[in-house]
This record gives sequence, C-alpha cells and structure tokens, in this order.
Amino acid sequence: MSADPSTMTAELRHPPRWWQARSDGARLLRLGGGLTIAMLVLVPFADLSVTSRDPWQELGRMLAGLASPAPGALESPLHALILTIAFALWGTLLGALIGLPLALVYSRSRLLRGVCAGLRAVHELFWALLLLQVFGLSAATALAAITIPYAATFAKVYAEILEQLPQAPLKALPWASSRAMRFVYAELPMAWRRMASYTRYRFECGLRASVLLGFVGLPTLGFYLESAFREGRYAEAGALLWIFYLLIATLPWWGHRRVLPVLAIASLWWLGPWPEVSPTLLWRFISHDIWPAPLVNASFESLTSGELATGLLQWASHLADLLPAIGNTLLLGLLGTAGSLLIAMLLWPLASRHVGNRLSQHSTNGLLIFLRTTPELILAFILLLLLGPSLLPAWLALALHNGAIIAFLCARHANQIQLPPSRPQGKFECWLYELNPRVAPGMFALLLYRAETIIRETAILGMLGVVTLGFHIDSSFEYLMFDQAFALLVLTAILNIGVDSLARRLRPSGEISEDSCVC
Amino acid sequence: MTQETPSPLLHLSQDHLGHGAEVVLRDLNIRLLPGERIALLGASGAGKSTLLEALRAALQQRDVAAAWCPQRQGLVPQLSVYHNIFMGRLDQHSRLTNLLNLLRPKPAHWQAVATLCEPLGIASLMERSVEALSGGQRQRVAIARALYQGHDLFLGDEPVASVDPHQASQLIQLIHARHTTSVVALHQRELALTHFTRVIGLGKQADGQGHVLLDVATDGLTPGDLDFLYPAAATRESSDVS
Repeated sequence: MSADPSTMTAELRHPPRWWQARSDGARLLRLGGGLTIAMLVLVPFADLSVTSRDPWQELGRMLAGLASPAPGALESPLHALILTIAFALWGTLLGALIGLPLALVYSRSRLLRGVCAGLRAVHELFWALLLLQVFGLSAATALAAITIPYAATFAKVYAEILEQLPQAPLKALPWASSRAMRFVYAELPMAWRRMASYTRYRFECGLRASVLLGFVGLPTLGFYLESAFREGRYAEAGALLWIFYLLIATLPWWGHRRVLPVLAIASLWWLGPWPEVSPTLLWRFISHDIWPAPLVNASFESLTSGELATGLLQWASHLADLLPAIGNTLLLGLLGTAGSLLIAMLLWPLASRHVGNRLSQHSTNGLLIFLRTTPELILAFILLLLLGPSLLPAWLALALHNGAIIAFLCARHANQIQLPPSRPQGKFECWLYELNPRVAPGMFALLLYRAETIIRETAILGMLGVVTLGFHIDSSFEYLMFDQAFALLVLTAILNIGVDSLARRLRPSGEISEDSCVC
Repeated sequence: MTQETPSPLLHLSQDHLGHGAEVVLRDLNIRLLPGERIALLGASGAGKSTLLEALRAALQQRDVAAAWCPQRQGLVPQLSVYHNIFMGRLDQHSRLTNLLNLLRPKPAHWQAVATLCEPLGIASLMERSVEALSGGQRQRVAIARALYQGHDLFLGDEPVASVDPHQASQLIQLIHARHTTSVVALHQRELALTHFTRVIGLGKQADGQGHVLLDVATDGLTPGDLDFLYPAAATRESSDVS
C-alpha cells in the first residue's frame, strides 16, 4: 500500500486522541476513565482503615459456619420465614394495587411524578424506621414500609410500560371511550405480560427488603440473622443464610402464579401483630413531632420579632454538623459506582461462553449468584464484622453486589451475541473488539441506572455504623429527635433524586431490560 | 503455444454441500487457478453463499490466506469505522498493540487505513461509529476491512449489493487492483461480464437441488446468455418485449 502521509490532510495523518474522539465507544471510554480517575483521586479522602484485630480468622469462622450450618439451633425459623414471605407478598401486592391507578395519570400529573420520586427515594428501611414511631414493631410498619416505595415505583414503571404500547389499538377505539375503558380493553391486555413479569420480579426484591426489615427489629429472617452474626453464632447465621438462598432459588416453584394467591390468603393467618394506634398520637406525630420545633411553636409575635428566623437558623445549624456525613454519602456513592464498574468489567467475560472456559463460567456464575442474591446490607454487615466500621466494608459490599448484578446481565447479553464466522481467532481479541464494544453501552446504561440504587443503599449502610446520612437518621430516631430525622430523610431523598437525574443525563441510550433495576 | 496450465490454488470436488441434512449444492467440481476473476451468479437461494463458505473452509485447510468480505458484513456497529477496518489485521498484532489501538491508534496504522479509505470515499468517516452509517457506507467499510487484510486472494459474498451500478463497478476495480485472484458473488450480470474472466452460474435443476449450471469464460458471453439463471427475470423481460 502506498501510504503517502505528506499529501494527506491533518485529520487523516493524525489519529484522534481518546479524549477527543467522537465515536460512542470513545465517549464510554471517557466516562469509565473519568469514573476510575475520580475514584483514584478520592480514595485518599475515604476512611478505609481495617480496625478489627484478626479479620482472616473471623472470616474463617464465618465460612466454617456457612459450611456447617446448624438449623436445629434456630428458635422459630418457620415463623420468621413465613413472616418474611407474608410481608413481601402483601407489601408488593398492595403496592401494585395502589400503583396501578396512579400509573394511569402518572404521565399527566407533574405533582404525582414529584411525589412518587420522593417516596421512591427513601429506602424501605428508612420508611420502616419512620413508621416504627407510630405503628411500633407491627405488621402495619412492615407492610407500609414496603408498600409505600413500591407503589411509587409501580406507578412509574407501569406508566412507562403503558407508554411503550403500540398506539394503533388505542386509536381504533371509539372517541368517547373513557380512560378506564381504554385501559381495560386495550392497554391492560397488551401490557399484562410485562406488568405481571415486573411485579413478580419486584416481589423478589420485596423478599430481600422483607429480610432487611429484621435489622430494625421486625421479626423476619434478618432479625435472627443479625443477632446470630452479632453474637458470633455463625453456625446459626449460616443456617439462616442458607434458608434465604433456598427461598430465592426455589422461587420459580413456590412463586408460581397459581400458588401465590393461596400463599397470600394463608399467610394472612400469620400476619401480625397489629398495632393499636392512638389517633391523637398519630396526629401529633404527623403535625408536630416531625417538623422543626421553632416552626411548630411559632406564634405571630415570634414571626414579626424575628425570633422565628433565629430559632430556625439555630435549628438548622445543628444540621450543619452533618456536612461530613453528606460528603461521605456522596463519596461512598461514587466509590461504589466506580467499584461496581471495575468488578463488572472483570467478571462478565469470565462468565460468558465466548471468552470463559467451562470452569471459569461455572465458578464465576456461582460467585455472581451468591453476590447478587445476598442483599448489600447483609454483605456490608458481614464485612463490617470482619473489617471494622470504616468506609471499606461498605464500599466492598456496594461494589461486589452491584458489580455482580451488572456482570450477570452483561454476561447474559454477551451469550446472546452470535459472533460472525469472520471473528478474530484469539479470545482476547474477540473480547476486545467483538464483544466489549457490543456489551459496553448496555453495561454503562445499567451502571448509571444503578447509581441511584447505590446512593440509596449508601444511606442505609449508615445504620450499620458507617458515618453516612443514614447513621445520623438512625441515631436521630434513637434519641427521639423526630424533626431532625425527618429533615434528614428529606435531605437524603433530595440527594437521591439529584444523583438519579445526573446519572440519567450521563446514561447512554441503550435498551435496559426490566429486571435491571434490581431493588 | 505450449503455455503450461498453472497449478490450481484449489480443487473443490464434492458430492454435495449443505447445512446439516439439507443439501444445497450437488456434484461440485471447481478448480480455482491463480489470477482468475470468477463471478458467482445465480438467483438468491441458489447456493452462492454456501459455495463461498466451502471455498473459504477448503482454503483455510490448505493454509491459503484469503481476504473475506461476508454478506452480513460482520461489522461491530458500536466501533468506529477505523477500528472495524483495523480488525482485519487483529491476528497480525500483539495483544498490547490491539488493546492500545482502542485507546489511541498509532499514526502508522491510522494512515494505512486512511490510505485505504480514500479511494473508497469513507476517509472522512473514519471516526464515526458504524451504526451511524448508511447501507452503502457500511458495505465500503466491509470491503475496506477485507482489503486491509492484504492477501492475494479475495472472496466476497455480494460485496457491492447495496451500491449503485456505477459505484459497484469502481469498487470491483479497486478490489481487483489489490488482489490477483478473486471469487465474488454478484447479482449484477453486467458487472460479471465486464470485470470478470470466468462465470460460475448456480441454479436449481429439476431434482430441486442446486447445481453448477454454467462454468465458462466470459469472452463472448452476452447478458442474454445468463438469463436462464434467473427464471423469473427472464420471463419478465420477455413479457416486456412482447
């Protein structure tokens, strides 16, 4: 080939630098590179110390417990198991029932969208903490903690499903058909499958959430899991973890659509206890306790004299102590997101049929199932016991759990790709040029989709003692400072919504499958 | 004139070809000589792709390297034009070079690809993702990738199907300028007669299976001689005349 660079234009003579290149791949490269660099720059600011004495020995004991579980030592595993299922089932069901009608007006009401975004942005566990103050350790707390955020999620997702329906059948209906009739005759039949499959999938998330509710004291599997771990009874903890894994693994069988209604009705028997709510106390909590004291106690005089303003300022200045916690929350969110990216990039090729061999596929898939089934909070809790209360266990838990979910979905995508017969010979080249470019856009879309989940999880990890916003929310509730707790909850929600909208802006326009938004 | 016949690059002699139990072509006996320009003709479904795949596999067995331009172009939509073309030579570079090339192409590689792209009219598109290109542009990228492999022999499965006849003629000329021997499946008869030395026509016989119906030099052949390969087209044209 007679390459004569001297006659070429500058553009043809010089390849673009990666920070200037315009292709989609280069854009993703910059995004990933930027995240990684941000991670490396910020790591020195994070407290990643290992404070426990002998983490390896402790890990050995935990693994021994997992390897030789002692189900006989459990107090009432069956009751905890049934309650876990009942809370998840009824919470999801009620959420769907409330979310469905909301979905019909979702796209038309800005107010509704805002309220739903706010309700979604607060984690199930925080809802439980808040509701606990009114309903105590009761089924009402557990159900509402799942139902409220799920209803808001269902409203949004159902509305999106309805929006994506083909429009022709709707237009073919007579003009005067009411909204309800249009829904029943045209939209519901078309959308039923997707809505049902999303609801099912959400139920699995509900199971995980239901387990976690044990961490605030509700008697689900998580309650016994936490105390067993905390007290070092690892054989019992191992047994509970195995029960949980079996529960998730056997879901396709016992979660059959014919079995679920029977299960729902039967579980009503065990659902409880039901609280006795005093309306005056409830009203006091809603109208008084959760609002800043200076505001609630304000009189007309205090407003004019400026007393209210100084009072509020003073009240708010207490919150200013929380700035490091906000910083930690954001820092952990970013570290978690970048860590998930690295874990996902490392693991998906090993789990895919084109790159991995049989051994790596099976072992990686096993690892991915373990990491994505175990809720972050439990993963973080275990790591926290091992490593001590710094950002490190929280970071590891977030990166491992979310990275595993992304890696699993990427590997599934990669396995669906049919490589052309003209593909490169080597596996490395195949991964680099054929698979990676095809998988990467979806991977980044997923990652940014999960950024919001990660920041939400970051907050609740505070309940374990990692100094994020959740830590202060938890302790505010503990000291009965409901006004501060509520303000922090609102702040957390705003933070989540902000991160979500930022991530949405960065997200490449790729197809995202329904089950990619794993709780 | 006692010119010695050059030894064939390949002698494909097979009872039948097909996918699994389904027989696509029967009674094959094809010799491929160096320097030949062979056009494969036939209605769609006649077995052109199957024959090309078989040729490719047979060549690979004999360790004869051939540039390959598949019908479904095998491009990676998310990668840039440059990277897609570069993929033609992935096997000739180290892993490190291949990896770094994704981050920052070496000027030498970039210029080599640019030189190839210029006559194809896609030099200004080298940074674009392939998914943003039109069908004709993608076809040029696929051809460029095949050219970049730098072999003497070119195998192409309808490499000029989605460009107009004038451009198709130019592209074929370019392919021929860079390869001494070529086997190209086409659906434009005129191109076969003007740019190729030999025509292999495939079609179904009464037994419902594909056969080589024609294997002749193009000298003195007219488009009309090829009509019988396209039964439907022939009847349509004759009805046009009447």
